[in-house]
Amino acid sequence: MVKKTSRVRKEPTPRRPPESHAGMKVLVANRGEIACRILKTLREMGIPSVAIHADVESEAPHVMLADEAVPIGEPNNYLDAGLIVRACRARGVTAVHPGYGYLSQNAGFARACGEAGITFIGPSPETMEVLGDKRAARRAAEECGVPVVPGELECDTLEAVRAAAAGVGLPVLIKAAGGGGGKGMRLVRRREEIAEAFAAARREAVSSFADGRLVVEKFVSPARHVEVQVLGDGRNAVALGERECSLQRRYQKVIEEGPSTGVTDTTRRALLAAAVRLARHARYTSAGTVEFLIGPDGAHHFLEVNTRLQVEHPVTEALLGLDIVRAQVEIARGGALPQPPPPRGHAIEARLYAEDPARGFLPTGGRVLSLDWPHHPGVRIDSGIRQESEVLPFFDPLLAKLIAWGEDREQARRRLIEALREMTLLGVVTNQAFLLQVLTSDLFVEGRTFTTTLESTPWREPEVPEEAREAARRALASRTRIDGTGHADPYSPWDPAEGRGAPA
Amino acid sequence: MSRPTAVSPPRPGRLVVVRTPRGVWVGWRGGAKFFAPVAAEAAAAATAHEDVRAPMTGRIVKVAVAAGEKVAKDDLVVILEAMKMEYRLTAPRAGTIGEIRCRNGDLVDLGATLVVLEARAEGSHGEGADDSGGGALP
Repeated sequence: MVKKTSRVRKEPTPRRPPESHAGMKVLVANRGEIACRILKTLREMGIPSVAIHADVESEAPHVMLADEAVPIGEPNNYLDAGLIVRACRARGVTAVHPGYGYLSQNAGFARACGEAGITFIGPSPETMEVLGDKRAARRAAEECGVPVVPGELECDTLEAVRAAAAGVGLPVLIKAAGGGGGKGMRLVRRREEIAEAFAAARREAVSSFADGRLVVEKFVSPARHVEVQVLGDGRNAVALGERECSLQRRYQKVIEEGPSTGVTDTTRRALLAAAVRLARHARYTSAGTVEFLIGPDGAHHFLEVNTRLQVEHPVTEALLGLDIVRAQVEIARGGALPQPPPPRGHAIEARLYAEDPARGFLPTGGRVLSLDWPHHPGVRIDSGIRQESEVLPFFDPLLAKLIAWGEDREQARRRLIEALREMTLLGVVTNQAFLLQVLTSDLFVEGRTFTTTLESTPWREPEVPEEAREAARRALASRTRIDGTGHADPYSPWDPAEGRGAPA
Repeated sequence: MSRPTAVSPPRPGRLVVVRTPRGVWVGWRGGAKFFAPVAAEAAAAATAHEDVRAPMTGRIVKVAVAAGEKVAKDDLVVILEAMKMEYRLTAPRAGTIGEIRCRNGDLVDLGATLVVLEARAEGSHGEGADDSGGGALP
């Protein structure tokens, strides 16, 4: 730094010109909570927005948040790149935000957008091809001097998988080379499991990514999953701190937090530096995440890069006070890379899924009959549902994310617990009680969170309070009478005894 | 289908009760549960436990059993794919496989009977009615 600051006249912080987004019109090629979240930022920025929706969800919350909406027919059409590009052209769209999942990591879609003169809000197709492919990404990491998990990259046949498993030693993970998100991934602990795991991984890989190539990696355990949020503009890249996402089930993250409880300052610096090196090497544009495994010895290994906005990005937003979607939009229109402020406090996110812990966490569904979110200090809720929403089986079971920020981890934890206790969602079985069980467990309090923790800790069916049983009994017993007379529940604390007339 | 009726307005920290044609949802501080009437619960227990049903809409990846085969509780019966993930459906109890009502590649609806499980094997009585996603009321 030049020590002449006293002579240099202090410039005021440059302000964004209010018309800087003039002419932009953004289509959000997604649905659910993430489409809602992106559309809210577009609204705030004054950028006209377009939603797409399947015919079965024409009144979904994300449709209501957009200035225009385009029906796309079948639920599967969220994956139809050609259809979405045509919708963009028809509506005069200048840029597409893909969210996560669906086409967000599809280089072909990014390329098709580019060819149609539409800005893809994300990395370039070339970057996505390199980093989205597990083989190429591992090579790129090695070129940047980032340590990788021991493994074999070319395992497309059962024989190759067997040889790789013998080479690196069981247990191993079989993974789809062409994708992530736990799809096409199988853990193999014993030799006799290899054949079935190979077949299942291959089937999932083909159906999810249309790409049956597999890699085999040493299964590091107990391990922590720690990831670094990066932003790049194609030339330079910055790291926005790390998130710990060790608490997973079936490779789906359940609870994420930042900062990680499991890394030392030295490791943290190493992770951030490695992520920035890799992002610069890949000429990374927009937001991305570099994932690492921290082994029992504290050593870190590169896992993969998620070339998109991630589900858990609000953890970083809470810590930094930065809107990552806004940053993506500004980078996409050629704006400067934001200088990240230092993280402050602690943030924890819980994912509310439509799944039933009592039935092996199978996805559930149904109509949302009653919905009430708490409005508490330090709590943010990113939801994709509202009262009367139909939770349908062809969509991701993530209903909402609850994110709590606190001065320290304990305050964030207590706030999140309070929010989860106060929320009401009836009509769809969710993992609400499971999330509370995890957050109140000694394991979580002590920060002993590893990738295997959730699956090795038995789920306890929560106690149903006697008052709840009693209320159910009364409601069931009084069903016919109530339906016949139109009177509200005579046992409700809200009824005429408290001065509220029965509904007409 | 008749619309559910709200019995009391949502009130954090208090019980929230919503009736549906099939039963009652009750929410309390930190949880929620669906309660079916005793008769419905018993009927569900009597039928659902005889078969392996689709817990969600999805595609059959593999039928792992053949008609007439004896299975033990928790044996793999069907692999179902939904939301790009595979789910292993296992026998809810020991028994003999009866009719198989799905084939590899079939698209099946939520609740569809996939495989009929016949003849209770000895020693497997007393299974609780835990299949409705809700609780039975005494």
